[in-house]
Amino acid sequence: METINNYTGNILIADLASGECETEELSQELVEKALGGAAINMELYEQYKDRDPLILGTGFFTATFFPCSCLAVLTGKSPVTGAIGHVPLTWQVGVELKLSGFDFVVLLGAADKPVRLWLHDGLSDINESQDVWGKDVWESVDKIREAYGDDMIQTLLIGKAGENKVPLAQVSENYWGSKDSFGFGAVFGAKNLKAIAMRGLGALEVAEGFFQKCIELKNEILNGAIKGKSGLKDFIAPLGIDTSIKAKIESATHRLNACYNCPYPCYTFFKYREAPSVMAQTGVADPGCLTSGLAGLTRFYMLGIDAPRAMEKCFKVGLQPAAAAQILEKKGIKDLAAAEAALDALASDPVKPEGSTWPIAVNLPPAASIFSSAIPPKPVFSPVSDFGAQDAGQFWVRRQALAYTIGMCPICAVLTPEVSTEKIVELVRMSAEWDDFSVDKLNSILDNLIAKSSG
Amino acid sequence: MDLKVEPLKCTGCRICEFACNFHYDESISPIGSSLMFYREEKKNYYGLMLKREKTLLLGRPEGERILKPGEQIEGASASSKPILLRVACDRCAEEEEGPLCVRACPFGVLSME
Repeated sequence: METINNYTGNILIADLASGECETEELSQELVEKALGGAAINMELYEQYKDRDPLILGTGFFTATFFPCSCLAVLTGKSPVTGAIGHVPLTWQVGVELKLSGFDFVVLLGAADKPVRLWLHDGLSDINESQDVWGKDVWESVDKIREAYGDDMIQTLLIGKAGENKVPLAQVSENYWGSKDSFGFGAVFGAKNLKAIAMRGLGALEVAEGFFQKCIELKNEILNGAIKGKSGLKDFIAPLGIDTSIKAKIESATHRLNACYNCPYPCYTFFKYREAPSVMAQTGVADPGCLTSGLAGLTRFYMLGIDAPRAMEKCFKVGLQPAAAAQILEKKGIKDLAAAEAALDALASDPVKPEGSTWPIAVNLPPAASIFSSAIPPKPVFSPVSDFGAQDAGQFWVRRQALAYTIGMCPICAVLTPEVSTEKIVELVRMSAEWDDFSVDKLNSILDNLIAKSSG
Repeated sequence: MDLKVEPLKCTGCRICEFACNFHYDESISPIGSSLMFYREEKKNYYGLMLKREKTLLLGRPEGERILKPGEQIEGASASSKPILLRVACDRCAEEEEGPLCVRACPFGVLSME
């Protein structure tokens, strides 16, 4: 087998305590053992478990022509669950990370003062970050991009909640929060790590025939379960969420966005400081916010408040929106001003999230707790039988394990029965010239990931 | 026949950039493409630029605009400027099934006209 079509071949070991970075080779043996993403993250976590590790990694197909291949994964011990958690990082993070020259990053220890990690062109620097410590997420993204001179830089960073190490804190992808339901914002804070900034201008090789096979799969997806659907609005009815929310989303939507190489644009931009219909560039600096966080959005709407503005407040201070909205509901908050004040207070409050954040019944097995609760808890547009499965809960866990390992968006994974295990195996074999890779081998890798993470 | 861009169909997935680069050097990367995606993220303002032989095609949310050498690129950020150094689009002339960017785009943003 060959890894040059899928990985740049580098693991970065960043010792935050000493400020030193070292690069190790991503061995063929490790890829053969665990394939990628969360599964390799777990191997690295175990290797460094005595040194307070947090692992950032890319999937086997991340940043390739494989459809929906945007994913990076953050793995560590969660201050919320007390156990291992894997956070799916979507948007452009995985692409920029892998093409910056690092497939995996092992973050060890804690810095003695605020720092950020800057990855680009196969280089890594741990830089002082006093300039943005104490600043909100939006201002910090702007300043980091300005400091490094490129507004296509992708950032993982924390706001006030993370700096205060509260369990509701999340690591944000640029301005827009993330699917971090594990409180890894608090872990960044404990490490004095304000941000990781990435710019990927490197390259991967491409196996003969891989581009065409991926185009065929993309076209199959477009003509499959997602056909005629787009955005978060079309998740509402199939998931059993209050259908009045669909009209609220539609009336405030500006444009939809897709993550890297994704045929389903679920990210929805809400404009509220100018009309949603305005497409031209205007002088309004911060016209709205972007989210794929349907659970939080829905919960804020259910409070009867302007949900996108409440989401913006969560994003700026670095709070998990859905968990924060649950807490506001218990406090009986019903107006935006009170909500914004309460969210500010939550950024300093050691309260923990409680249970499922979806406003619908969720029936998932205990093993599901190792994956983000921000992902729809069941297939959205198709019955589970269309995926060749019977038990919906077990299916969800394995489908997430698969997505987090190969580098596929875990939302898309529950939208696209066309992406079968057999097709994935075929594309792994083609991409890596890995003739003896099989469904059994893939299942074994996923079993190990689930067992080790749940252990 | 030349490439046409319908900017409001774009969702910013960027696969066109990578497909274009693949046409030139058979690798996956954004760096050698004739196409460049640009974004002002907080404004949700984004579009595509295409380097042509003698002009630059700007696919902005307001619509298509063709720029000649020396004209200012409005709305384009610092990260977009290297487009002027890129190779001009050859419309994937030798590709039997048409330009790779057209084939890769899931949303019909790009077409030959």
